[in-house]
Amino acid sequence: MRSCYKVFSLVLLTALLSIMAACQNSKEEVTSKSEGNGPITLTVFDSDTNPDWENMESPVGQKIKEDTGITLDPEFDIEGGQTKIPLMVASGEYPDMILPKNEASTLVEAGALIDLAPLIEEHAPNIKKMLGDDINRLKWSKDDPSIYILSNNTVDEDRAHPNFGALVQHDVVRELGYPDMKTLEDLENAIREYKKLHPEINGQPTIGLTLQTDGWRLQSATLNSGFMMTGGSDDGEYFVDPETYEATLHYRRPAEKEVFRWYNTMNDEGLLDPDSFVQKHDQWLSKLSTGRALATIAPDWMIYEAQSALREAGMEERMYGMYPITLSEEYKHHAFRDNGFQVGWGIGITKDCKDPVRAIKFLDYLVKEETQVMLNWGIEGEHYEVVDGKRVIPEDVLERRNNDKNFLKETGIGYNFSRFAPRYGDGALDSTGQTYTINTREQQIANQTEIEKEVLKNYGVELWKDLYPSKDEFPVSPWGAAYNLAIPSGSKLEVNNQRMLDITFKRVPEAILAEPEKFDAIWDQFMKDLDKVGVEESEEEFTQIVKDTVELWNN
Amino acid sequence: MVTKKKLMDSMMKERVFDIINCLFLIIVMVVTLYPFLNVLAISLNESTDTVRGGIYVWPREFTLNNYLEIMKYDNLVTGFINSVLRTVIGTILGVFAQAMVAFTLSRADFQGRKFVSTFLVLTMYFSGGLIPGYMLIRDLGLMNSFWVYILPGLVSAFNIIIIRSFMDGLPFSLQESAKMDGANDFTIFYRIILPLCKPVLATIALFVAVGQWNSWFDTYLFNSMNENLTTLQYELMKILDNTSMGGNVDANQMRPNEQQQNQVSPESIKMAITMVTVIPIMLVYPFVQRYFIQGMTLGAVKQ
Repeated sequence: MRSCYKVFSLVLLTALLSIMAACQNSKEEVTSKSEGNGPITLTVFDSDTNPDWENMESPVGQKIKEDTGITLDPEFDIEGGQTKIPLMVASGEYPDMILPKNEASTLVEAGALIDLAPLIEEHAPNIKKMLGDDINRLKWSKDDPSIYILSNNTVDEDRAHPNFGALVQHDVVRELGYPDMKTLEDLENAIREYKKLHPEINGQPTIGLTLQTDGWRLQSATLNSGFMMTGGSDDGEYFVDPETYEATLHYRRPAEKEVFRWYNTMNDEGLLDPDSFVQKHDQWLSKLSTGRALATIAPDWMIYEAQSALREAGMEERMYGMYPITLSEEYKHHAFRDNGFQVGWGIGITKDCKDPVRAIKFLDYLVKEETQVMLNWGIEGEHYEVVDGKRVIPEDVLERRNNDKNFLKETGIGYNFSRFAPRYGDGALDSTGQTYTINTREQQIANQTEIEKEVLKNYGVELWKDLYPSKDEFPVSPWGAAYNLAIPSGSKLEVNNQRMLDITFKRVPEAILAEPEKFDAIWDQFMKDLDKVGVEESEEEFTQIVKDTVELWNN
Repeated sequence: MVTKKKLMDSMMKERVFDIINCLFLIIVMVVTLYPFLNVLAISLNESTDTVRGGIYVWPREFTLNNYLEIMKYDNLVTGFINSVLRTVIGTILGVFAQAMVAFTLSRADFQGRKFVSTFLVLTMYFSGGLIPGYMLIRDLGLMNSFWVYILPGLVSAFNIIIIRSFMDGLPFSLQESAKMDGANDFTIFYRIILPLCKPVLATIALFVAVGQWNSWFDTYLFNSMNENLTTLQYELMKILDNTSMGGNVDANQMRPNEQQQNQVSPESIKMAITMVTVIPIMLVYPFVQRYFIQGMTLGAVKQ
């Protein structure tokens, strides 16, 4: 027996030694910087999937290859880089460029990314022109103002659709003669009256207001309505004072208590869907897509599937319009507040990059005006034509754009390449005064249903966004969107935020479903619970983060 | 009279037992079968209609679109072939290797038996972790090769222990008598042990086959850059990731009339993918089932 142990420990030891030897055998660095525009292949690791990757063979891909001499060899990840990026760090082998999403700090801490600031300064006039002062937003942190990640977000975007509001069936406003839809009271009256007139829809009992409460969706739909209806803009759980940058946990604002009190009275009157706090996302969607629920309150992207199901089923009068409902008329709906250039996710160049200069020149090429037009519209003469100085998409191409699932793959238009660099958003204008994206006002109007057009006409507007205060009425937020600000992982603030969220998930439903006379007591308890976990301390810490960000970005 | 009554009583009791038993089993069957039928029904239902809810065991608006949508992706055929190959090769080699180790460990006359067993059990509790594992595979030169599907999982401690305890239950006198008839250890293994172990080997084969068929993570880690080595599950995983929320918001920006197109919702795709994954491996069960029931070593030895 003893000899056995000896033999095995020997085997083990040799195995260990050989592994260690193998580890030391890391590859020698090959850094030959090529000059000029010769053909070169750059590897890219992208944390997002892309089933439409066209291998640089599409017309747009060919053109890019021709202009830059660069062939991309991408890897598209399915786990958001969460697995592969730590593996890269562990093995010390990086692709030439990388889009790390949430794993950027892992790479920065490992020293894997190079500072882009001098490269942009020297080789990227188009990026500088596109971003202007926003380039400061790319700075990594107060202690390290290098630029590691070039955001691939939109620039100068003027969103085509409002992203938050009260969703009300077209038939409700039509039948009631297009009443004002501005305050919660208006909404309540509309629901009450219509429900009285139609206690049943398609043989099923009518539901007044149904709420989205499934997990994190509770936050983005029902809970966010607190600040959205009281003149706040979407900054996540904290409301940030635009003057003092003072952060407040938004439920602590007195006005919001009144919003949640409104939900409470709705419940008391029987206008709130009694299933509201027990239903799952698909149950909520099914209520909307069968046309039973008169109204709900949610971001637009959440009900997308319901809208298309209604349209498909020909129930266009049951589709939903989006209204800027606020607590009372003194509040302005901030859905269109301009967050400015959003940073965080984007592309970086690694220290293993064969040729960082060629790489940054490539990114610079992608943001150039002509390239941006090409990435949205395609190749002139093939995917669009210029008539009287205006870009026009011919009928047959438009048809393919809408219905051919392989269109993006075959042409290379769109996110095949626009994902690698910042891009102009909807509504941004090029030097000829035309939009970069094809999502124009005319296109949107053409896409409306007849009933939608009628409803909008009666409210005196053309698009839903016209009902909202426009982007120009708000200054650009100097801290972007507060929910995007990085909270140090493992910090006390992070822990506290989670605890406060847990309390909120418990107390808010309790308050809404309580009898009206008990509402105040429960709300007070909610506030006390928040105090107990140290809400004020967290607010101070978050205020500091906001202030630091403002300072970093604006200097 | 008394005996007759007793007989009646016991018959009644049996009846009641049978009825309750049947009811219970029917309930169990419904509970296990319903989710499967529900998934099947949703996968065959028009996806915009599915959003409206109320699909149970029968599709309301029949369509094959969800399946066609999956089929549009490239590499699915390559993936399918590779998945079948890895399942067949991996299972045959794996079961054979594991049985061999188990046989060695079951023999009392093997000197290092205790040490090797402990060593094997240790691997069940401690693993090297993702990063060391990745580096090991890389340094062994298994990246970008088909063998990464077969070799790392060839010998599983858990399966070996199961096979071994089954072998321990076999009378040792069988081996002794064979030895006396002139058989060597290999002959004993082939001719006596393996045939007797059919039930447990069938079970293990099923474990291994299901594991091989379902796994995608190794493809993702080691072979994701080589399209020729992709597996079905990895391809399906990509489709799933792509259709689920946030996959490609930009894709819609490029289509002006986004609402008009017949979008296939992630839910329906998920269900169709589930069916594509489950059905081929389900087909294996009937072939293996008879071994489960087969008697073991009844009447082999009289002691």
